[in-house]
Amino acid sequence: MTNMDCDRLIDYLNGTLSANEIQQFEKHMETCTECQEIVEATGELPYLADPVEPPAGMKARILSNVFEEEHEHDTPASALNPAMSPIPLRKKSSKAQQMWKPLIAAVLLASLLGNAYAFMQLSDQQAVQETAIQSVELQPTETFSGTATAAMFEEEGSVNLVVQADQLAELDAAQVYQVWLINDGKPIPAGAFSPNPNGEGASYYQLESNSDEWDTIAITLEPKTGNELPEGEVVLSSEI
Amino acid sequence: MEKSTDTSLYMRINEQDKAALEQLYDRYEKILFSFLYKMLEDRELAEEALQEVFIKIWRGKGVYDESKGKFTSWLFRMAQNTAIDLIRKHKKPTVPIEEAAQMSSNDAPVDQQVEWQEKKGQIETAVQRLSAEQQKMIDLFYFKGHTHETIADMCDIPLGTVKSRIRLALKKLKISLHGMQERGAYDD
Ligand SMILES: [Zn+2]
Repeated sequence: MTNMDCDRLIDYLNGTLSANEIQQFEKHMETCTECQEIVEATGELPYLADPVEPPAGMKARILSNVFEEEHEHDTPASALNPAMSPIPLRKKSSKAQQMWKPLIAAVLLASLLGNAYAFMQLSDQQAVQETAIQSVELQPTETFSGTATAAMFEEEGSVNLVVQADQLAELDAAQVYQVWLINDGKPIPAGAFSPNPNGEGASYYQLESNSDEWDTIAITLEPKTGNELPEGEVVLSSEI
Repeated sequence: MEKSTDTSLYMRINEQDKAALEQLYDRYEKILFSFLYKMLEDRELAEEALQEVFIKIWRGKGVYDESKGKFTSWLFRMAQNTAIDLIRKHKKPTVPIEEAAQMSSNDAPVDQQVEWQEKKGQIETAVQRLSAEQQKMIDLFYFKGHTHETIADMCDIPLGTVKSRIRLALKKLKISLHGMQERGAYDD
């Protein structure tokens, strides 16, 4: 029963076959139950791993990079031609963008980075336009179980702030998580969000300012939306 | 919310549905990251590998259909191959993994945790039924990504027989897994 094709099983699992050979072997598996079953059994081995906590912010980083790949393929043409995109910070809407679900901060971030990229391409005078991206993990207060990360980047004269939070408790209808940027004890509102059924929330906020004007970012649980000053308790915060 | 099957998520991803990719990501982040960490013993490399896996899925590299067996087997094989590529590229020195213990956590959704623990118990039992040498070979081959030449060296067995010995180890694993799964079915 062990024929030449079966011999390739180990190479198949060890990733040393060419694309062509992989195809051949997969064809072989369609008729060879033993190879097929061994491959399936091997597919259980990853469960031997002990659970390890992923690094903070990994999801946002990975998803933005995955979707960023695509921007590199489909934006340069318009980005390099100023006539086609007169407003640097608005990208022409694409079908892909319409499909985006709200509250996917990672995707939003990818879009913003895409815009920053287009913007850099356009400003010839400042060939090297630094887009400093600062990312912080917010610390929860003792009684709060949620987590959040904030990413901030500057464009000339404005700051873009993306916050992504998860493991959030459900809220009453009127309540909202409010993001604040604080300078020397004085807060200004900088975005708000409500959790989705999976306990995730995200916000995006752009303001005319420099990032070094702010020393702290905080999230409070507000009894209602639109507060100009915090009323509720701080649940997450970090120095920036 | 209705729970989509892996296959239906995969099909939506093929149509460049970002929300579907995010769902798939959420579903497998923890097991994939833990598995890649077990292989690579480095958090940054594990993240790099995980990202590579999702880029491959997003770009439609490597095609899955149900004739290829379980989706997870396909996904894990892609992750395992990606990690092996990284190991070979970086010629990674082996680092102790003590820190793993204090980082372990259990905040994945409960149903995933339960499933994982169940499968872990099964596969652990199946592995324990193998001889010590067979266990070692599976570890070196599957998790450490060593070539069969290296394994021949490390286990001190003739090069000509390594592949068939690895195959035999995997076959025994399969048989003992099947035995348990069937018994499990009768117990229910
Ligand atoms: Zn075969």
